[in-house]
Amino acid sequence: MTELVIDPITRIFGNASLRVDMEESGRARVRFQAYGYRGLERIVRGAHLENLLPVVSRICGVDSLFHQVAASLAVEKALGLEVSSNLRDLRNLALWAQFFERHAISLFVHGLPDLLFPASDPGLRNLVSIYRVDEEVVRRLLGLKSLGTTVLREVAGAAVHPMNFRPAGAARDVSQEVRRGLLERLNGARPLLAETARLVKLILRRNEELVNQAGDAPTAYLALKGQSGMEIEGASPALLGPEAPHPALLSMEELPGKLREENSPSSHVRYAGLEGVDRLKVGPLARLNVNGRYGSPWADEELEELKAQWGFPVHRCLLGHALRMLEMIHAWERMMALLQGPPLEDIHAEVRPAAGRAAAMLEAPEGSLVYILEVSEEGLVERLSVFSPLQFNLRSLEKSLSEVSAALGGTEREGKAEDLLQMVIRAYAPCIPCGVH
Amino acid sequence: MQVAILSLSSCLGCQMVFLNLEEYFYAFIGDNRIAYAPLLMDHREMPNVDLALVEGTARNAGHFLKVREVREKAERVVALGTCACFGGVQGLANRFSEESLLEGRFGTETIEGAPQGVRRLLPLDSYIRVDAYLPGCPPSPELLRDFLQLLLTGSTPVREGSTVCAECTVVSPQLPQPGPRRITEAAPPTGICLLDAGFLCMGPLTRDGCGALCPSTMGVPCRGCRGPSSRVLTDPSLDMEEETARRISRATGTKREDVKAAIKDPVHTHYLFTLAEPILRRRRRGGTAPYLYRLGERGSGR
Ligand code: SF4
Ligand code: SF4
Ligand code: SF4
Repeated sequence: MTELVIDPITRIFGNASLRVDMEESGRARVRFQAYGYRGLERIVRGAHLENLLPVVSRICGVDSLFHQVAASLAVEKALGLEVSSNLRDLRNLALWAQFFERHAISLFVHGLPDLLFPASDPGLRNLVSIYRVDEEVVRRLLGLKSLGTTVLREVAGAAVHPMNFRPAGAARDVSQEVRRGLLERLNGARPLLAETARLVKLILRRNEELVNQAGDAPTAYLALKGQSGMEIEGASPALLGPEAPHPALLSMEELPGKLREENSPSSHVRYAGLEGVDRLKVGPLARLNVNGRYGSPWADEELEELKAQWGFPVHRCLLGHALRMLEMIHAWERMMALLQGPPLEDIHAEVRPAAGRAAAMLEAPEGSLVYILEVSEEGLVERLSVFSPLQFNLRSLEKSLSEVSAALGGTEREGKAEDLLQMVIRAYAPCIPCGVH
Repeated sequence: MQVAILSLSSCLGCQMVFLNLEEYFYAFIGDNRIAYAPLLMDHREMPNVDLALVEGTARNAGHFLKVREVREKAERVVALGTCACFGGVQGLANRFSEESLLEGRFGTETIEGAPQGVRRLLPLDSYIRVDAYLPGCPPSPELLRDFLQLLLTGSTPVREGSTVCAECTVVSPQLPQPGPRRITEAAPPTGICLLDAGFLCMGPLTRDGCGALCPSTMGVPCRGCRGPSSRVLTDPSLDMEEETARRISRATGTKREDVKAAIKDPVHTHYLFTLAEPILRRRRRGGTAPYLYRLGERGSGR
């Protein structure tokens, strides 16, 4: 018997619905449903490498650059191309900008309104309604989003499906003048970022009961592990088991052999996972739990406070929002550092047609994104497999939803259950176009 | 005005541009009532609205039902973005049958609750009447802003539909040039016509409106994301592949047949955004002119 249907799930990236069936045993069967497979992995087969990035970019307009760079990294590895550190810096600057922008939307447009006004009608918990009563607060929050958007547009050429990058190359650097302008803008936003971070901390503290209700089961965590903190690119994948004290490093070479993918019985988003790992999470919690710190001063200072308040490792999914805020601060610090670099030359390497196969992994905002790419001798895409963050998280998400539903046990009014379940979903910040692709 | 903003099968990129409108975004949400927008708000049902902005197109029966509902409930329907206008990149899946596409991904297992897929991906106006179109993958924030401004005055934006070349600021180099070339093999020169330089630029066949962003500002060839120019849409004998080969042949002094043979991915190169567009294969019933008239984003007076 179907107990609860949420269709559509609102304030998330893309179209999905949720069905929860309560079984006699008290267990809740949860189905997170999203359909509409577009076949982009299949579409890209046979494309020249020049057309690879424009195609994979269209998997997701929210994280388009992450798809482009994951594909580029796979090409570079497959063909053994040396890429200059300048090109990597330029790409990473744009990636941090998109990361910042995406987190701002997940937080301010999707997740935070619930925690700001938990007692109000859910219909009013959105920026459009808030704008009617308090223009200023919406302008400030979206002002942070547009900071990321601006850096991204300047560096990558456009905020959605940018065209500056190609495998092993970029069309142009950012001029010193533009760099100065962006630095000024980032600097000017520092107080706003600090104030927003305070607000996020405060409202999570105020909602401690909700944070505890929304699920806290420890899982395994997969993320890139940097030398001195969190990275989104250029580090080794690492897996932290639910009980393990330290993460175990995995090499990029062994990763494809350990990846598992299987159909969900009720969604076009396929489950992805790692061999021998039952319940896995990727994303802000995984990145923190695997790395232990961010590796930039301001973010780490904030982190100490968070650890004192909520403990470490962090398992409670709603705290994902607090970590998004810290990651925005970290991204801000990384953008500042990268913009201060010297003018970049040498940002194009010649790609000669050759056969090869390689895997690449990035930390997209929502979590690990893995590309496995095969190139033919003619330099055409032979085969591509994409493992997106939602695929890695889907089982965990469904389990969290099931546990929360069972704990509510049908005693709650439907509205309350619906409310809490959607908060859990928004805490994972799922991206349906990436998941379905 | 009561406005609905929704996506069908899409990447959400066009809706991201809506969030990138800066000042105009605030004006828009301040002056209008957003009555349905699952990306931003919590409505479950779409009410009757004055204007619906539809991103993406129908990939399955669920989308199809939604499209029908939108047409019934919206006074005016806008096809937002190249997916909705011409099918977009996802239209390249039309090279495969629906069965083989799904089987390649999910095997023979049935996915419970999955709506029936469409046999061919088609632009939005293959299913319902569309009142205004804004192509672009995605359209730039400036285009979207101008377009919305006009729509809100009650007028329907129109556009002649010239080409990206008409907006491009590059100069022509001495011919012949090497090529055909790809940007992965050689860094394109700046400030000169990329097509003349032997690169595969789709500017001559693509609708204007973006300000020739890729070739003029970024120095990379136009991929054709705004969709076919009016000339391409109205000339039944114009073949995009032949046309590009002819131009590259002229620029490089290579035989046309050799140019074509050198482009190993003709579908991705020439039809990246438009393979699903029926007008490229058969003309619309009732002629093309009324359709072209609505395919744009400027007032007729401009
Ligand atoms: S037109 Fe382009 S940006 Fe818009 S939804 Fe389609 S793929 Fe995304
Ligand atoms: S670079 Fe491309 S868009 Fe510009 S004039 Fe040449 S062919 Fe046209
Ligand atoms: S130049 Fe071409 S590909 Fe680039 S934005 Fe304009 S129409 Fe799209």
